[in-house]
Amino acid sequence: MAMRRSAETTHDVPAPSYGIAALVALGVFALYVATLAPTTAMWDASEYITAAYTLGIPHPPGNPLFVLLGRVSSLVPIGSVAVRVNLLAALCSAVSSGIWFLVAERVLAAWSRVRWTRILAAITAAVLSATVFTVWNQSVVNEKVYTVSLAFFAIVSWLTVLWCDDPDGRFADKLLVVIAYLIGLGYTNHPAGLLVGPAVTLAVIIRRPVTIYRWKLIIAGGLAFVLGLTPFAVEPIRAAWHPVMNEGEPTGCADTIGFACTFSETTRTRLMSNINRDQYGKPDLAARQAPFTAQVGMWWLYFKWQWLRDSHGVQPTVQTMLAMGFFLLGVLGGFTHWKYERASFWFFGPLVVTVTLALVYYMNFKYGASQSPGLTGVAREVRDRDYFYLWSYSTWSVWAALGLAAMWRSLAARAAFDARRWMTSAPILLLGLIPLVGNWRDASRAKETATREWAHDLLNSIEPYGVLVTLGDNDTFPLWYAQEVEGVRPDVTVAVTSLLNTDWFPRGLLRRKIPAYDVAKGPEIYRHMSAAMPAKPVFSLSYQQLDSVPEYIDVRTPQLFQAGALKAIVDPSKLEYGVVTRGDLMVLQLLKDNLGVRPVYIARTSGSYVQALGLEPYALVQGLAVKIEPSAIAATPDTLAAAGTGHIDVLRSRALWSSYGAPQAMIRRGDWVDRPSVGIPLLYIGTAFMLGQVAEQRGETKEADRMRRAAIELAEGTRTLDYFVAPADQRAPVENGDSRPQRSVPVRP
Amino acid sequence: MRLLTLAPARRGHIVLAVAAAALSIGYADLIRGGITLGPVLIVIGYAVLVPAAILTWR
Repeated sequence: MAMRRSAETTHDVPAPSYGIAALVALGVFALYVATLAPTTAMWDASEYITAAYTLGIPHPPGNPLFVLLGRVSSLVPIGSVAVRVNLLAALCSAVSSGIWFLVAERVLAAWSRVRWTRILAAITAAVLSATVFTVWNQSVVNEKVYTVSLAFFAIVSWLTVLWCDDPDGRFADKLLVVIAYLIGLGYTNHPAGLLVGPAVTLAVIIRRPVTIYRWKLIIAGGLAFVLGLTPFAVEPIRAAWHPVMNEGEPTGCADTIGFACTFSETTRTRLMSNINRDQYGKPDLAARQAPFTAQVGMWWLYFKWQWLRDSHGVQPTVQTMLAMGFFLLGVLGGFTHWKYERASFWFFGPLVVTVTLALVYYMNFKYGASQSPGLTGVAREVRDRDYFYLWSYSTWSVWAALGLAAMWRSLAARAAFDARRWMTSAPILLLGLIPLVGNWRDASRAKETATREWAHDLLNSIEPYGVLVTLGDNDTFPLWYAQEVEGVRPDVTVAVTSLLNTDWFPRGLLRRKIPAYDVAKGPEIYRHMSAAMPAKPVFSLSYQQLDSVPEYIDVRTPQLFQAGALKAIVDPSKLEYGVVTRGDLMVLQLLKDNLGVRPVYIARTSGSYVQALGLEPYALVQGLAVKIEPSAIAATPDTLAAAGTGHIDVLRSRALWSSYGAPQAMIRRGDWVDRPSVGIPLLYIGTAFMLGQVAEQRGETKEADRMRRAAIELAEGTRTLDYFVAPADQRAPVENGDSRPQRSVPVRP
Repeated sequence: MRLLTLAPARRGHIVLAVAAAALSIGYADLIRGGITLGPVLIVIGYAVLVPAAILTWR
């Protein structure tokens, strides 16, 4: 066996098993491919896939490195574009698992002199780290940029472990320079890339304190770090080309790219605003958004998910016992690390603390979406944010595997190595397979096609050249994906209220070139409809006029809004912020500019927005959206009044329902694991019930029964019946909203 | 293969020059609106060539 001498250690260090690490990574990759999402998913998946495909700019900080990697992935001729980008996530996590194998094997060098024991224990670390719920679930669809971050964490970790083994000499210096470069580069994927920095610094100070006095090395590292940051230059370059997704618009170039406008103060300000995520206005750390104990409780809630997701709370006791078990195994593993491999412990230990306690403090979250559901009157995150702790659970699983290894040794080891005893006690490592078995059902996204279908269904609910007002992530990003990646209904203008509050999004809507409606590709119901392309843009205002719309108008009493024959009483008290915001003003402007010119819709995911704007007399439900008519609607046999929603276009809604693909996709999946986005299946169920009621009113008993059965079948298929039968205070909160922690609107009611 | 037989110092310079060329051409393509060649060259430059250049530098 190849050995190398580690400086300042009392034992020879076995050569890393790179070949086996590669095989382990390959095995993990195969697992991820088997459970990979065949298309897009809820929340940010569609945004990132679209950004990658179009080389656009996703939400701040813009993640330029991810966009570049995603774009290159999207060029690989395997499957659909979504699958290609999803495979990037799978590949990054598989590489991370392979590296955790190497780290675990290295840590265990002094724990056992027999190679196969170390390899088995290290494989356990790789499998555990790959199958904890959040890592697995995030690795089978590219919902976020965090799997790329995880790969950076793992690579930097391995390089640091190598440096800790031998911190002297030119090669060690080069390792440090590469580490500095990779930390900078990782930052351009996501700010979390910096999280590994404190642990590296601490390891350097403890392992070789004199390093901090080597100014030439420090300067080289600093320059490498800055070089790693240079992908941020991609943002202003691409922004100047005004791609369809140009969030934050970090350029001063209004029309085309140019030297002067790129190197302008406007570009600098907007780019820095993007990088610093000013749009979200993170509150001061001293002002806790929830008690710190509750924030740790949120981490613990998601920690419990890692070993057995149990998304419907069927086995809470088993879940808690497993979590406690793996927590204690992690503590034991940390002790084992400290005992047998002190050099790398001073890196890995601080890393675990940084991505756990320090991160909990820094993120300063409100109560989690699924945390303490009985607790009312507290501010909550819109969705579960377990993904922010992906690095925590990944590194903890390495320690948990080391804990299992320690238990194995205590069962097997005697004064002399006894292979038989090691073999007979090796099955204890099978405990590392618990997450693989326990999480398979919930972590797998193999049959998840509902989001793609939902996007098609919602877009096809809109007549040609329509404007669709949406509310947040889940009724917007999938539509961007469908339009820009799959080419579905690009004639529809999607205007999301949360982004209408910014300055750049309205400008983007005005700039957007609307392609001609393709009758052949459109749904059957619009085949015979005359659809001439409107000559006017969606806004009648200029860029300057759009920019001058105030962030809000501090009026709190009902106001009259008039557009042609439409007269609506806007009640600010019913709006999200209690006043009319810039986003609301933009929606009213869209109504004013487009009623009678192009169809204007509001997505039914928007809850009571139609009522808040006083538009109920003009509201006509057509499938998943509400069309706003220029004049008040009169009831007819095919246009029935529907309490709380205005009127319903019966024939159109029925025709649309029969064309929808999402209900069957949801039933095929057999569950709706992500409860904070459950509003989407509930909308379909509600629509089926509504169509059943309408049929009842019209005396169509068979049709009424058919629609009610469809509603119940869908509720059973998505396991959401509890939302219709459970007492209100026992239901999880239903949100379709924006997943961002903050928006730019400064007004608080 | 010929690269491997070069003197280490020269090898480091060549890798650095290739990295600089890949990034320069990649950014140039991006500036002219390209979204295929540019990203590929930039990714290779940042992910492979720059670390290789640092590790082979003498």
